[in-house]
Amino acid sequence: MEALFFNVEDGFLEAMVRGYKAGILTNSNYQNLAQCETLDDLKLQLAATDYGNFLQNEPSPLATTTIADKARETLVSHFQYIRANAVKPLSTFLDFITYSYMIDNTILLITGTLHERDTNELLERCHPLGLFDGIAALCIATNVSELYSTVMVESPLAPYFEKCLSAQDLDEMNIEIIRNTLYKAYLEDFYIYCQTLGGPTAEVMGEILQFEADRRVINITLNSLDTELSKDDRNKLFPTVGRLYPEGTMKLARADDSDQVRLALDPYPDYKQFFDEPVGSERSLEDKFFEYEVHLNKRSFTRQFQYGVFFAYLKLKEQEIRNIVWIAECIAQQQKERINSYITIF
Amino acid sequence: MATSQKDRVLIAAIGDEDSVTGLLLAGIGHMDSKQKPNFLVVDSKTPLPKIEETFTEFTSRKDIAIILITQQVGDEIRHMLDEYTQAFPTILEIPSKDRPYDPSKDSVLKRVQRLVGEGS
Amino acid sequence: MSGAGPRFAIFPTRMALTTMKNRLKGAQTGHSLLKRKSEALAMRFRDIVRKIDEAKRKMGKIMQVANFSYAEVMYTTGDIGYQVREGVKQAQLKVRAKSENVSGVQLPAFEMYVDGQNVSELTGLGRGGQQIQKCKETYKKAIEVLVELASLQTAFVILDEVIKVTNRRVNAIEHVIIPKIENTIKFIGSELDEADREEFYRLKKVQGKKKERLAAETAARELIQGDMASDDAQPNNLLNEYEQDPDVIF
Repeated sequence: MEALFFNVEDGFLEAMVRGYKAGILTNSNYQNLAQCETLDDLKLQLAATDYGNFLQNEPSPLATTTIADKARETLVSHFQYIRANAVKPLSTFLDFITYSYMIDNTILLITGTLHERDTNELLERCHPLGLFDGIAALCIATNVSELYSTVMVESPLAPYFEKCLSAQDLDEMNIEIIRNTLYKAYLEDFYIYCQTLGGPTAEVMGEILQFEADRRVINITLNSLDTELSKDDRNKLFPTVGRLYPEGTMKLARADDSDQVRLALDPYPDYKQFFDEPVGSERSLEDKFFEYEVHLNKRSFTRQFQYGVFFAYLKLKEQEIRNIVWIAECIAQQQKERINSYITIF
Repeated sequence: MATSQKDRVLIAAIGDEDSVTGLLLAGIGHMDSKQKPNFLVVDSKTPLPKIEETFTEFTSRKDIAIILITQQVGDEIRHMLDEYTQAFPTILEIPSKDRPYDPSKDSVLKRVQRLVGEGS
Repeated sequence: MSGAGPRFAIFPTRMALTTMKNRLKGAQTGHSLLKRKSEALAMRFRDIVRKIDEAKRKMGKIMQVANFSYAEVMYTTGDIGYQVREGVKQAQLKVRAKSENVSGVQLPAFEMYVDGQNVSELTGLGRGGQQIQKCKETYKKAIEVLVELASLQTAFVILDEVIKVTNRRVNAIEHVIIPKIENTIKFIGSELDEADREEFYRLKKVQGKKKERLAAETAARELIQGDMASDDAQPNNLLNEYEQDPDVIF
């Protein structure tokens, strides 16, 4: 069914995304980039790719942050183009994607407000995908409860805030816990939404989001070992949509050290392999998560007539930006021996 | 002097965003009772007087033992570093992220080399 | 002679000479002591200079590693700079100064210590936490080197100052104080000699006068005795017996 009507509304955009995807850097591109001696060389190499002349107006010497910003700009313009042409339900789906950036931006603003920073300056640091209408209004708010009552309730994130936080929490809780609580609510909501879309979208997105949830669970567990975060609190941060839920998360919530984490993950062959790295290896767990994420996202392009490609494109492109920035950093800091730690996409 | 040295417990930092963040991550950051930080992030928009002012403020503070300053920023206020002769707080030039360290520019190292050159 | 060169304003007495001689001895001892101190400091100084040179190079390397580990954090976690900066409350890494005594100079040595709890412990909870902790450790190590370097540098500045002062003192003693004392001693010596000569001359003069007078008196007495001999015919004057006694000269 969906194959029949999909193209009526979303066919053009899917074609666009697949076109964009063809512009993602390939292994040979990366090899060329890794050969560069200076950032100006890198700029030249990038000019030959789909990035074109995006760094043309930047004065030398280039900073790696400039490269990152500019690359992100191109991605954002792609995404906004798609978003502008989308109709429901794709537009809602795309909005959901932006929520995760909104969470980061909101956290940033809350942090800034708590320390009475100039909010205008903060807005410049926000991720452009996470800007929402009311966000400029955050500049007006001077304290957190005001921020909460006037601005947050209007923002798309309001339901997540309502669900798990009160204005008082915002003042007292560790900002990281707030971020992760919001993220958990967001992931669960996004997952449910994808399931209501049904069809291949639900399948593809389900898999990706489940992995995202599981990754968070594992990361939170590992990162909260030996910290002040209690096991109860830890459990509260676990999203309930992943494949690890509920048995795996329960075990992980009780884990005291990394061995127990490994043990808890034993029944899940996909995740178990992440831990099977020989000691002293250069690649961290995080790298392997990224690799797996890329693998999942890449796979979503094999399915047609579904929204997963939009999400996957964004994520792959983000990985690509990370790769470019990594290579740029290696060149700038003259640490060529680690330059090949990037994750090839195609 | 002995008592004033005891109060000097902080490490201050002036530098580009990444270097300062890294140092803060290690835990040197401190907000005093007036919410004044002991670090300054310098980017391309930071005006020179601001750097100079912060530098003077840090050098006159009684709770700072060491001031770390990235060489790139150090170059901007080189004249102040060259003139600085106080023993406390100690000024230390550190390399910034994307510039390799250049020992010939370091104010203290210059003095060292001059003295060694004279001495030998 | 003794008038050339500066000297202390002092009366040229024997006592002053003794004091001056003592002072000279003191100055010489002081000079040799200070000279030895300055040599010890200079040795230490050269040692420190060498260490600074070494440490600066080491720092270049370790900072590079630290900065690179921050790049790794950026890769996995994204930009956390703002959050880290805003999360700053109390310093966790602090330094304390110990002092070390080198030939009477207090050289501070900083020592890093960890105080209070880990502020950014939950940063990157959802992603990249391990990288952040790793980066933190790397930076901590880097700071350790930096702190060591800072101690060396402070020692360098202080020693530099102290050595300058000591050398100035050594030179002052050698070239100003000791010559001055020596001049004074010479001056006193010559003045005393002069006084001696004067005294001798005076004594001689007195003796001469005495002799003159004695000679005159003897002559006078002989004259009187001659008179007495001519008076022999006269009756015996009872008193004559006594007149023969020589005049008493006081």
